[in-house]
Amino acid sequence: MTARSDGLQRFLLGLVGIGLFLGMWQVIGVYRLAGLTWPPLTDVLVFVADPSKRTLFARAITASFIAVVTGYGIGVIAGIALAMLGRVATVLKPGLDRLIAVIHAIPLVALAPLFMVAANRDSTPASIAALGVFYMIYVATTSGLNAASAAHRDVFTALGASPVTRFLRLELPAALPDIVSGMKLAIPVAFIGAIVGEWFGASRGLGLLMVSAMQNFQIPLLWSAVLIVTASSLALFGLMSLVERLTYGRYQ
Amino acid sequence: MTVPAIRLDHVGKSFALDGGKQFTALSDIDLSIGKGEFVALLGPSGCGKSTILRLVAALEAPSTGKVSIEGADPQALSRSHRLGVAFQDHALLPWLDVRANVALPFQVAGKKVDSARVAELIRLVGLSGFEKARPRQLSGGMRQRASIARALALQPEVLLLDEPFGALDAVTRRQMNVELQRIWSAQRITTLLVTHSVDEALFLADRVIVMSGRPGRIIRDITVPFERPRKPSVMRDPAFHQLVDELTLALEPEGEAE
Repeated sequence: MTARSDGLQRFLLGLVGIGLFLGMWQVIGVYRLAGLTWPPLTDVLVFVADPSKRTLFARAITASFIAVVTGYGIGVIAGIALAMLGRVATVLKPGLDRLIAVIHAIPLVALAPLFMVAANRDSTPASIAALGVFYMIYVATTSGLNAASAAHRDVFTALGASPVTRFLRLELPAALPDIVSGMKLAIPVAFIGAIVGEWFGASRGLGLLMVSAMQNFQIPLLWSAVLIVTASSLALFGLMSLVERLTYGRYQ
Repeated sequence: MTVPAIRLDHVGKSFALDGGKQFTALSDIDLSIGKGEFVALLGPSGCGKSTILRLVAALEAPSTGKVSIEGADPQALSRSHRLGVAFQDHALLPWLDVRANVALPFQVAGKKVDSARVAELIRLVGLSGFEKARPRQLSGGMRQRASIARALALQPEVLLLDEPFGALDAVTRRQMNVELQRIWSAQRITTLLVTHSVDEALFLADRVIVMSGRPGRIIRDITVPFERPRKPSVMRDPAFHQLVDELTLALEPEGEAE
């Protein structure tokens, strides 16, 4: 009962926090406290809801969304697959770890122009998103596959488990909480990757919209694009937090 | 001469410590356990009794000497799915319910799950009605019972119990001992129990091996005279008390034994 009221209290405090944040945004905008480039929240919302802008936003959102989903999907699958490969083919593991660490050490922003010239420019956003997500998931899965306790490993050894059985019935389920946490943290990474990729000259998308709005001093448009990206990223992050909580409840 | 079920032939085990030193956990252990015999290893913490169990389970390899089970390498036993183990840490899989945990050995062995056997075991350990509960929803004693049911699933030839009730309170522990005695009497599996409870060893075992530590070695080997099946009332028997006193004294560090 106390746990529930604690949860309720946290939820209410969270709502108050968000309310304060949005209220301050509005106040700063209305009184021009941060100058002309900070519009009130209501102006941005009216702009987003404006029917004449609907096609513009719909096109940009669709393009960005496809890039995020594609990049996220490829990154998650490749990350889990390579981490499993490293687990099964232990000879490859040290080399794989090092290669992936080196790739990760290169800033994604520095890779974007390379993708631009080397690959199709419209696949750059998804590619950059995939690369960031891949690293996150690879690390999470690798550490997750080591998460099974020594006692559980002993039980499997004593029961005469084959390596395949041990992997499928112990290591993989034990890795699930870590993989799901990785998938949660990878959501913002996928958005950053896609937006950065679009900045470098994709033909459509919210990132492109931001750049062009900035360069043409279309302040409400710029804020609208930022608002849409932030809201979507937060919504998906929240959804994954829920999945994470369910997984932890079951697997730990 | 018949081959003993479990044979430790002058077994020693040492571990490398940080800094290059060697720690001798076991020295010259010579022990034979007959088929269908219930043997308790009794000793203070750190005397290496769990190490003996891990050697028999092939979870560790001896540094010197040889461990064999029915004349073969101990690994052959676990690889052919004829070994049952239960540890102090119940080691149930948290993502599986009781039924699935008890059925796990079938799946690990690549056999079809014998649902009737699983149900029978769950009933035997008194967990009927909790088939769908997850380990975290159970009490400590119930988890240990599930863990013992899992150990028995494949009708193992050797059962290894490492302080299975070590984390339980005294009342639950005694109750579990009574139940384990009942379960064991029905199956008569060659069993090695590691414990530091004198009462538990005497109540459950046919033979009690007393160990002393650093390095671990056997100092006493006592045959328990009480008839089976044993009832809890045997613990009030004067002969029981006398053996308890004798073993408790044997467990005292040598310097204080006077």
